[in-house]
Amino acid sequence: MNRNGPFNWILLVLSSLVLLFLVAPLLGMFLKTGVGEFFETAKDKDVQASIWLTVWVAFSATFFFAIGAVPFAWLLARKSFPLKSVVQGIIDLPVVLPHTAAGIALLGFISRDGLLGKAAASVGFNLVNNPAGIALAMAFVSLPFLINSARDGFTAVPERLEKAALNLGAGRSRVFFTISLPLAWRSIISGFVMMFARGMSEFGAVVIIAYHPMIAPVLIYDRFSSFGLKYARPAAVLFIIVALVVFTILRLLSETGKPVVTKDEYADS
Amino acid sequence: MLILKNISKKLGQFRLNDINLEISEGTYYVLLGRSGSGKTQLLELIAGLNQSDSGELWLDNENITHKKIQQRNIGLVFQDYAIFPNMTVFENIAYSINSGKIDKNLVKERVTKAASDFNISHLLGRDTKHLSGGELQRVALARTLIKSPRLLLLDEPMASIDASLKDDIKRLLRRLNKQGLTIIHVTHDYREAVSLASRVGVIHNGRIIQEGNPEEVFRKPVNKFVARYSGIRNFFRVGFKNENGKWCAVSNEKIIFKLSESSYPEEGLLLLRSDDIKISHEMPSFNTGNCYKGIVKEILPSEYGVEITVDAGEIFYVDVSADTFKQQPVVESSEIWISFPAEAGIALQGGN
Repeated sequence: MNRNGPFNWILLVLSSLVLLFLVAPLLGMFLKTGVGEFFETAKDKDVQASIWLTVWVAFSATFFFAIGAVPFAWLLARKSFPLKSVVQGIIDLPVVLPHTAAGIALLGFISRDGLLGKAAASVGFNLVNNPAGIALAMAFVSLPFLINSARDGFTAVPERLEKAALNLGAGRSRVFFTISLPLAWRSIISGFVMMFARGMSEFGAVVIIAYHPMIAPVLIYDRFSSFGLKYARPAAVLFIIVALVVFTILRLLSETGKPVVTKDEYADS
Repeated sequence: MLILKNISKKLGQFRLNDINLEISEGTYYVLLGRSGSGKTQLLELIAGLNQSDSGELWLDNENITHKKIQQRNIGLVFQDYAIFPNMTVFENIAYSINSGKIDKNLVKERVTKAASDFNISHLLGRDTKHLSGGELQRVALARTLIKSPRLLLLDEPMASIDASLKDDIKRLLRRLNKQGLTIIHVTHDYREAVSLASRVGVIHNGRIIQEGNPEEVFRKPVNKFVARYSGIRNFFRVGFKNENGKWCAVSNEKIIFKLSESSYPEEGLLLLRSDDIKISHEMPSFNTGNCYKGIVKEILPSEYGVEITVDAGEIFYVDVSADTFKQQPVVESSEIWISFPAEAGIALQGGN
């Protein structure tokens, strides 16, 4: 550090300030939450139900949408087609939309007057104020994370490996499942975790689609607006802890398994 | 027999143009070309990875132009071998036969046999990430040949391996060819063609510009590009003259070359292989046809021994073996005699 003098010190100070900005509010919230009120909140059935609902709905949304999103990502990585850049722009759209606006747009689609809502209603199913509707809202705002990460993963797989597999007599689907998917696996899991995380933390779109049943971010907002900061804080701390534990477990799981080779590593080998 | 009839294919800005080839069974065909000349695209087209825009592709009297890649049974080994990094060596070799249709014991038996044929039995359980270039090459060959392809396509097979391993791989490829396997090998290195090919083609800008047996192509290049590809470095722009029934060539720098053939064009290029030129400290006493005194400008180590650049009015590049160089040491700026027989001169009309 000393060798490069003042520049590195400036970097250190600026980095520390940014880090402090991220850590300080969270740390303050943890420190201000008493142990007693924390455990009392943890025992609260409503809180438990909302956290559980958030986790499983976010996971289900990620899992089911991954079935379509991962092959779509391969298509984006490998094929050229007309208006590809427009398609790519559409995928990124939810990231730049205000999430409440995304919720409003989605509500028009899944309410009883909307295309999907009408279809669901015809079989006696109401998507609004329903975990299925919450899943759709979560997926709507978080899908770009999975698609983009998986697309980058597939792009990093040398196309020659897929060509070699085809030349060895494998069909397209065998090539996808034995070559493309295993080699892009780490990026796909990373995108999966990011989509799941983004889905879990979604508030704006979900609150438009379903105030009830309450997912954790809505419950925290509800407690804050009804009873104030002191009452909302322990629920927020508990949700953050659960989210951290879930992400850590998923990250650890994604680290295990066979190493994935990037294009550069492959070229070096 | 593989036949390519008027094959054309547009790939972005590049175009494979009207390719016609006939490669008999058991031939070792080397396709020479610079990078970007279209040789890899041609291989991928034969393998079925790409479809031609026009023309026909026949293999063993069967039109395979529109046949799927999986049904062609043509083996292709990529330049970097394309070994699957998520699989062991065993799984790589077994890939083409391990689709669930063949009994597992039979798969194991065939993989073991293929590995033994390529001396890689000890690698079967290994991860592929830490294999050497030569080992990867053998794995790729075993993986491709386990399904007994009708034709083997090799894309720059020597490009990614150490010089010390090249001879081993050449021996291996010669053995496979002797066993009856038809091989098409693309490379930018004419020495691979010299040592392996029974037929040679030179591809440039998507066209095959010369084809024949190696002797024909390397001794009678049709143009300067092919000559360069044949390893020729001495090119002299000359006028050809017939004086008293004997032909000679006069270069721009007024050097006179005695020639041996019975007819020549009016003007063109005179080509001379570097290894046809001999060096000596004294004027050669025997009649070699052509001998000139010059100054040694540069001495560089080469694969062959050393390459000596001599200024004898024209610049001559001379390949000297390490043994000869030891017997007749030469230093830069010293005087030296160079000589070569009249038959060594290769005439090219036009000289493009």
